[in-house]
Amino acid sequence: MTASPRWKRLWALCCSLKLAIVLASLATLLTMGGSLVIHFLPGVFGALDQHPLGEWFLALGRLHPALSSWLLLLVGLMFLLAVNTLCCLLDWLSRLRSRWRKSGEYLLHLGFVLIVGAYLWGALAGVRQPGLALGEGQTVALAKNPGVYLRLDHFDPVFRDGRPIDMRSTVTVLQGDEPQVSKVIHINHPLLWRDLVILPESFGQRPDGFRFLLAGRGEVDLVAGSRLPLGTGGELQVLDFLPDARVDADGRVVPRGGNLGDPAFRLRLLAAGRPIWQGWYALRQGLPPQLAGAGVLLRPLEPHYRTVSILTVNRDPGAHLALAGAAAMLLGVCLALASFYRKRAHGDRPDIK
Amino acid sequence: MILLTRSLLATAFGSYLLAVILYLLQLRLQRPHLSRSALQLVSCGFLAQSICLSVRWWSAGYLPVTNLFATQFFFSWALAATFLYFELRYRIGATGLFVMFLNLLLLGSALPRNPAIPPLIPSLDTPLFTLHIGFSFFGYAFFAMAFSLGVLYLVQQKRNSPLLPGLRELRRLNEEAVFLGFCLFTLCMLWGSLWAYLAWGFYFSWNVKAVWSFIVWLFYAGMCHAKFVRRWQGTGYAWLSIAGFAVVLFTYLGIGLLLVSNHPLD
Repeated sequence: MTASPRWKRLWALCCSLKLAIVLASLATLLTMGGSLVIHFLPGVFGALDQHPLGEWFLALGRLHPALSSWLLLLVGLMFLLAVNTLCCLLDWLSRLRSRWRKSGEYLLHLGFVLIVGAYLWGALAGVRQPGLALGEGQTVALAKNPGVYLRLDHFDPVFRDGRPIDMRSTVTVLQGDEPQVSKVIHINHPLLWRDLVILPESFGQRPDGFRFLLAGRGEVDLVAGSRLPLGTGGELQVLDFLPDARVDADGRVVPRGGNLGDPAFRLRLLAAGRPIWQGWYALRQGLPPQLAGAGVLLRPLEPHYRTVSILTVNRDPGAHLALAGAAAMLLGVCLALASFYRKRAHGDRPDIK
Repeated sequence: MILLTRSLLATAFGSYLLAVILYLLQLRLQRPHLSRSALQLVSCGFLAQSICLSVRWWSAGYLPVTNLFATQFFFSWALAATFLYFELRYRIGATGLFVMFLNLLLLGSALPRNPAIPPLIPSLDTPLFTLHIGFSFFGYAFFAMAFSLGVLYLVQQKRNSPLLPGLRELRRLNEEAVFLGFCLFTLCMLWGSLWAYLAWGFYFSWNVKAVWSFIVWLFYAGMCHAKFVRRWQGTGYAWLSIAGFAVVLFTYLGIGLLLVSNHPLD
C-alpha cells in the first residue's frame, strides 16, 4: 500500500529541514526577548527554578498572562521542533541502509527529542520541594510522594577559617517505616533514589523551645517532647512548640511560621500519672492559671535553638529519560566527530593553496 | 608563582604580538619565511601559556578558571589552540588573524589583573566543572574562528584578493569551525546539565546565563542545518557566523559582567 500524495506532502513538511530552521530561529529570537523579561522582572519570574514549569504557570504565570505567554509559546515551539526532529529521525531510520554514516548526527537528533520530552514530562509531573528544614532525628513526609518520608540522621556543617564551606547530612529515605536508602549527602553529591534527588541547600538555626526559670528549680529547657518531673511527683510534658502562633478568641491556636514571633507551647500536666490539665501556653499571654495553681511557675528567659539542615527534594519523572538523551547526544557527538575526520582523511577536505 | 605566571603570560603576549605583526607583514610582502616565523611565534606563545596553565592547575589542584582573569587567560589559550589547529591543518596563515587579535585583546586585558588563584569553593570541586569549562571555551574559540572566517568571506566576496583563500575554501572552513564548535559546545551543555542536576536538582535553569547558553546552542544547531539550504550557503552563512559570535560574546562577557547570573566572572 502506498501513501497518498497528501500524506507524503505532510510527511515531507514534518521532516523538513527548512521547518527545523524556521522553528529554531523563532525559538532563538523568542528566548532572547524572554530572557530579558525574566531578568528584569524577578517579581514574576524569580521563582521559576523553584517550581516545575507547569506548576509555576498555575501558581504564578497565569496571574501575569501578558508577561508569561512567551514561555507558553516557547514550549509550543520546542515541542514542534522536537516533533520535526523526531520525524526527521524516523525518515532517516527508514533509509538507514544508504545513510548509516550520519549515525552520529541522528543520535544527536534522538538525544534532543528525548531531552525535550523529558523536560516536558518533568515540567508537568515533577515536584520541587526546596527549603526543607530538618533537625537531627526529624522526619518529614515528601510532597506528592504518599508514604515516602525523609529522615535526617546526622548533620555536620564543615567550616574553613570560620566560614561554612560544605554541609554533610546523613539522610534516610523511608517508605512507611522501612528505610529504603541512606547516604551522606553534601555539595555535588546528592542522594538519588528512583526519580528523587535530595541535596543540601543550606543550614541554619530554628527555634525549637525556650529556656525558663522554674521557681525552686533554676533554669530548665523546654522543647517539644520534653518531660519535666515536678517535685510533687507530677510531670510536665511538652507536646508541641510553635515558634510563631496566633491565638484566636475561641482559644484556637494557629501556627504562623517557623521564625520566632509569638511562641506557644502545648503542655500536659500530670499528677500521680494522670493528666490533670492540657492546653496552650502562649508566652505573650502569660502563664495559664492551671500551671500557676499547680505551683509550676515558669518565667521565660530566652529562646532555645537547634541547628537544622535545609534540604531540597526534587522529583523529576523525566530525569532518567533526559539522562538517556544526554548519553545519546554524547555518543552522537563522538560519532559525528569520528565520521567528520574519517571523511576528511579520505580526501573530503578544503583545498587550500 | 605569581611572578612565574606573569613572566609566562608576558612571553606569550609578546610572541603573539610579534606573530600578528609578521602575519600582517606577510600579507603585504608575501614572503613565506614570514609566515613560518609567525607560526613558530604562535607555537612559542602557546607553549608558554600551556606551561603556565599546567603549573597553575598543578599548584591549585583544580582547573583554575573561576574569575575574570582566569577565564580571559583560558579563552585566550583555547583561541591559540584553535588557531594552531587550523594553521597546522590547512595553513590558513593570516586568515586567522582576527582570532589572534582577539587573543591579544583577551591576554592584554588579563595581564594587569591579579593572577592569584582563589581558593576553590566546594560547589566547583567536581570533575564536571573541568569538563564544562573546557568544552565551553573551546566551543567559544571555534565560534570565534567561524566569525573570523565569516568576515573574511565577506571581504573576499567584495575584493577577490589573491592574499586570501578562495570563497569555496573559506566557506568550508567556516562550516568546519561551526560544526566543531557546535560539537564541543554540546558537550559543554551536557556536562553542565549533569552538574546542575547533581548540584541543584534540575538540569535546566531559567537563570539568564543558562538561558543564553541554550540560545547559543540552538543558534549554532540551526546553523549546522542552514549549511544544507542553498539560500543560506556562503554569504548568509558568513553573516550568521558574525551574528552567532555576537551572541557568544554577550553570553560570555555581557552576562558575566553586566547582569546578575549564577556564572559571575568576578
